[in-house]
Amino acid sequence: MAPVIPNEAGLLAAPSVPPDAKADTEVEVRWRPSRHARRLLTLAAAALLLATVTRRPELVGAAAPALLLLGAARPGRPTRIGVRVGLTTTRLSEGELAAVDVKVADDAHDARWELQAGRGIEPASATAVGGAAARFVFTVPRWGKRQVGSVALILHDRWRLTEGRVTFKLPSVDCYPNPAVQRTRVVLSRLPNRLGEHSARMPGEGVEFTGVRDYVPGDRQRQINWPASTRRGRLQVNTFAAERSQDVVLLVDATSDVGEPGSSALDLGLRGAAGAARAYLDARDRVGVIMYQWGGAQWLPPSLGRRTFYKIIDAMLSADAAWTRGAPVFGRLPRAALPPGALVVAFSPLLEQRFVEALRDTRERGFALMVVDVLNTEPPTRLAFADLMARRIWRMEQQAIRFSLRELGVPVVHWDGESPLDLPLAPYTRRPLVVGR
Amino acid sequence: MSGADDGLPSRPPGIRLGAAAPRLAAILLGAACVAWTATPFLPSGWARVALIASVVAVTAGALRLALSDIPQPEDGYFLPAPVRAWLAFGALLRSLPWEEIALVALLWLEVQHPARPWHTVALGAGLMAYLLAVHIAESGAPDLFRRQARVLLAGACLLALGAGAAMLPGVGAGAGSALLRVLAAVAVIAAAVLALPA
Repeated sequence: MAPVIPNEAGLLAAPSVPPDAKADTEVEVRWRPSRHARRLLTLAAAALLLATVTRRPELVGAAAPALLLLGAARPGRPTRIGVRVGLTTTRLSEGELAAVDVKVADDAHDARWELQAGRGIEPASATAVGGAAARFVFTVPRWGKRQVGSVALILHDRWRLTEGRVTFKLPSVDCYPNPAVQRTRVVLSRLPNRLGEHSARMPGEGVEFTGVRDYVPGDRQRQINWPASTRRGRLQVNTFAAERSQDVVLLVDATSDVGEPGSSALDLGLRGAAGAARAYLDARDRVGVIMYQWGGAQWLPPSLGRRTFYKIIDAMLSADAAWTRGAPVFGRLPRAALPPGALVVAFSPLLEQRFVEALRDTRERGFALMVVDVLNTEPPTRLAFADLMARRIWRMEQQAIRFSLRELGVPVVHWDGESPLDLPLAPYTRRPLVVGR
Repeated sequence: MSGADDGLPSRPPGIRLGAAAPRLAAILLGAACVAWTATPFLPSGWARVALIASVVAVTAGALRLALSDIPQPEDGYFLPAPVRAWLAFGALLRSLPWEEIALVALLWLEVQHPARPWHTVALGAGLMAYLLAVHIAESGAPDLFRRQARVLLAGACLLALGAGAAMLPGVGAGAGSALLRVLAAVAVIAAAVLALPA
């Protein structure tokens, strides 16, 4: 049995197909003459034909080696063989390595494997290897659902005169956007009455000290502040801030995908939303997502837990910036996706006017709203007066959109996709975000 | 960067030449077969056509082998004209059976010459070597020649037998005697195939 091909294998986890595992899929093999056999047949047929036509026996001699080789090939090829083809993972992040492990339970024939990578799949190792078992390493540079492609198994007999070919279609993989780095969080000044990790302005049973007050019957003895009681001459107790959680709704604008693939507005929006989802879920907040895209929108209501993170990512993978799917079916964000008092964080290049209108409407409904501007490109221009003028007008329009949102009390911060999200959000993470109407 | 620097096993210097050697051998054998068959040069029309066809086919096959490791640019919309021409050229090289065309053209060129049994037998051996070299270059199976050595040896004996039979004086003056010798040679080959062990 040939060993597993050692291409980049050290960077991956253990192979999903152990070398001594029993093959579990029986596939039918179709055998046919190899290219070598067809050439030999051509030589023999042409020489015999010419020998007969021209009556020259030496041409038969020229056909003899080819005829001997073809005649010496014996049947006995298996019509069914056991094959195992598996992926090390079906979920990975952008740029992460994954592998296809292949193994055939047939030692009598020379096996060769060829990987036909699908669109958006970048092989990170050789795409054609020989041996009974092999491993093809690949990576996905950009998020999305990707077809890995197919793997072809080519079996040759001992003399390579016949070949059997079987093609296996590989399953698709989900490539998740790389979450942006975000360690700090925007916290609302008014939090719902639900236990969490954010210190609220109201007193409660948290750990953050807020002050002292007079002792009243019923207070715990352990909360008595003895130094303050000594100074004031009467019993004083410590008071603490309550700890509450908040509802966060991430709003991703998928109507515009401008910029270089890999760092486009949609790429940055999804990475930022993924990073924000992870940051807020780590703080035990309830997080939901709304994908605003052409042809409609889909959303996940806020929920808790690690599983929610993957649900949010799965929902974001269906993002589609194809305008041919039709216009958005709503001009305002759905009520079911927006719990009262929720913090709405929008990731958008602010190029779609209806999305901007939906933001204004959301703000007017009293929600705390924050916009992360992910526009990092400008329209291409030539050195012509009209082009320069059009670009200037376009810039002024963009500035006007952002100004109008700020006038409504919506913070708009710009994120370049390279730095952590904490940097643009820093002015709003240092203190609670005051919700005003 | 050397192999020791990046932690990968260093590649022996002979491996690169080892991968190119079968291709070089196939190209040289193809050229030798063409030169062998074309000598002496025949000015007749059919011989010239067969010579041109064999030269074109052997050259195209050699190019296909030489360019087989060069990655093809990804197909897409709005490709520049040179890239499109290059893609079409590569597709043409891969789509046509150049080796088969070369075989037929060379045999056709050989029969344009007057009968020369040992010359023809040497051509047969050269063509077999050419086909084996092409196949080894394509498949990367260097032990293929060793696996088929016994059968090839038997084929060489039959090749010599065919040449010897052609040099024997004819039994009679009629056309039937030559045909009889052809049939006898075919029968010998068939007997050898049947007698060969599995």
